[in-house]
Amino acid sequence: MAAQTFNSSMQPTDVYGGDEVSAIVLDPGYSSIRAGFAGEDAPKSFVNSHYGLNSQARLVFGDDAIHNPSAGLEIRNPMSKEGIVEDWDTATSLWEYAITSRLTSFKQADPRTNGMNDDNKDLEMQMEVVEGEEKALEEHPLLMTETAWNTTKNREKSIEIAMESWGCPAFWLARNSVMAAFGAGRATALVVDVGASTASVIGIHDGLILKKSVQKSNLGGNWLSSQLRSLFASQDPPLELIPHYMIASKTPVDAGAPPQAVYRKYEKDPSDSFRALEEERVLTEFKESVVQVWSGPGRLNSMNATGSNNLDYARSQPGRVFEFPDGANQMWGVERFTVAEGMWDEKAALPVPNEAPGTKMTIPEMVRASISAVDMDLRAHLLQNIVVTGGTTLVNGFTDRLNNELMAMYPGARIKIQAAGLTAERRFGSWIGGSILGSLGTFHQMWISKAEYQEFGASVVEKRCK
Amino acid sequence: MVSCNSVSVAPDCITKFNELKLNKKLKFIIYKLSDDNKEIVIEETSENGDWDFFREKLLKAESKNKMGKVGKGPRYAIYDFNYDLASGEGSRSKITFIAWSPDDAGIQPKMVYASSKDALKRALNGIATEFQANDDDDIEYQSVLKKVSKGGA
Repeated sequence: MAAQTFNSSMQPTDVYGGDEVSAIVLDPGYSSIRAGFAGEDAPKSFVNSHYGLNSQARLVFGDDAIHNPSAGLEIRNPMSKEGIVEDWDTATSLWEYAITSRLTSFKQADPRTNGMNDDNKDLEMQMEVVEGEEKALEEHPLLMTETAWNTTKNREKSIEIAMESWGCPAFWLARNSVMAAFGAGRATALVVDVGASTASVIGIHDGLILKKSVQKSNLGGNWLSSQLRSLFASQDPPLELIPHYMIASKTPVDAGAPPQAVYRKYEKDPSDSFRALEEERVLTEFKESVVQVWSGPGRLNSMNATGSNNLDYARSQPGRVFEFPDGANQMWGVERFTVAEGMWDEKAALPVPNEAPGTKMTIPEMVRASISAVDMDLRAHLLQNIVVTGGTTLVNGFTDRLNNELMAMYPGARIKIQAAGLTAERRFGSWIGGSILGSLGTFHQMWISKAEYQEFGASVVEKRCK
Repeated sequence: MVSCNSVSVAPDCITKFNELKLNKKLKFIIYKLSDDNKEIVIEETSENGDWDFFREKLLKAESKNKMGKVGKGPRYAIYDFNYDLASGEGSRSKITFIAWSPDDAGIQPKMVYASSKDALKRALNGIATEFQANDDDDIEYQSVLKKVSKGGA
């Protein structure tokens, strides 16, 4: 790290000193935004990344607002399918909402800001207020996370927003995969991160991303949803996915029987994008309670040691009942396994409209590509330090299957997978890592201060946050 | 920039390391983070060359989380590892850096140790090999011998 010089009026300790720091950690993803104070165990603010655009062209944010079927909302997302920002204006407002709605309004109650009444700090702040209108985060250093494939332009835009729009006194960008590795106690690791929009495999050595090792595909939670849609469409008769808002009441029916529900009428039908968002909620529930990854060894469609097909074995496993919002319910047997098999065996993926089959790398193939791109000496090390993170890895059986696939792919090598047992650590892994890092007294020298930003401009972020 | 925070390394950490390197009396040094997580300090040095004696020290290491609760703790260690070559061409000595971070330690100490590791590593000149260890098996003598000798023992 390059040594920084501060003149006496901008000693870092004056602004955000030692343990008094109340930095904010912002971890934006495709499906949700996690925000909270550094040093806390979990993000206080958890906001849907989808937002609504109402008929008066006003933006509405947050789960309380975007699930209202009568509001005539178009649902959008400022993030690209690769989990990086596409629409900066909206992303800025949305993140600001995530921070101010739950965090900075609690300012008075937060004990770490109580010590802020010291003389010179107060003066400085008052002066800033006089200079311009009050900004959202003038008291809070901001630690933001980003993907390994974030662009230089986007990184510079992040610091611009933090400094210019929010008035942050200090800023830092941390790689989410590095945060996940550190949180698992490893400075060197192969991070397998499966989120909503993206699945990625990234090699990290001594806290630095190995650029050549970065692999990504769209085999994440949203892709799994598309598999579920294909499954439902292939039922006989096709199963229509009816979200909760369309149901006024329902009568219990037997398994497999047609639903008996009274549907709600709306003056104006909610938009397709609204319906898609609400369907996704049902699919999430289905993923959490029904979907099962075939844990191996071998693929779902391959023969096992006793000469029978794994598929037959999976068929003999107990099924799971799922009740849809309209009351329709049925037992899901082998389908529980088949929907997730495409993550591991491209030929097993169910056909998805407008998507060519077999064009993407499976998760084991991404690991293979990632490992072969790094130095020979490091390979064994990475295989022994695989860190699994991201919400979609919580699908039942994921870690067992990954282990079995890799043992078959690298016979003789020692494979060790570390996956946090706590659901929160897996879903919020990078936020929690950022929270711990941002709360360390020794981290405050890492921050890019406002003075540095003013002196060097936005490009300082490329130099300082590697 | 490799390490992610600016933890400092107590001068003693380097003095003792050089003593181990040059005088060949010390067999291992165990380092830990100070209670305020701001400095890496020496926890223990020893002339006892019994691997299991050393291993036991790591297994018993503790850290406090921010609430003051004591649990398993990560450590850094330097071990002067000696082994005989399988080819019969004599023995080798390798100064080995070990980043010990048990998987069942709390996330806070794990995060702090992982992000501070590089500061210590860069301060110590003459490390021959290094590895990460995260469970009891990783620090079994045979598994360490294999890693350190790269199969040459």
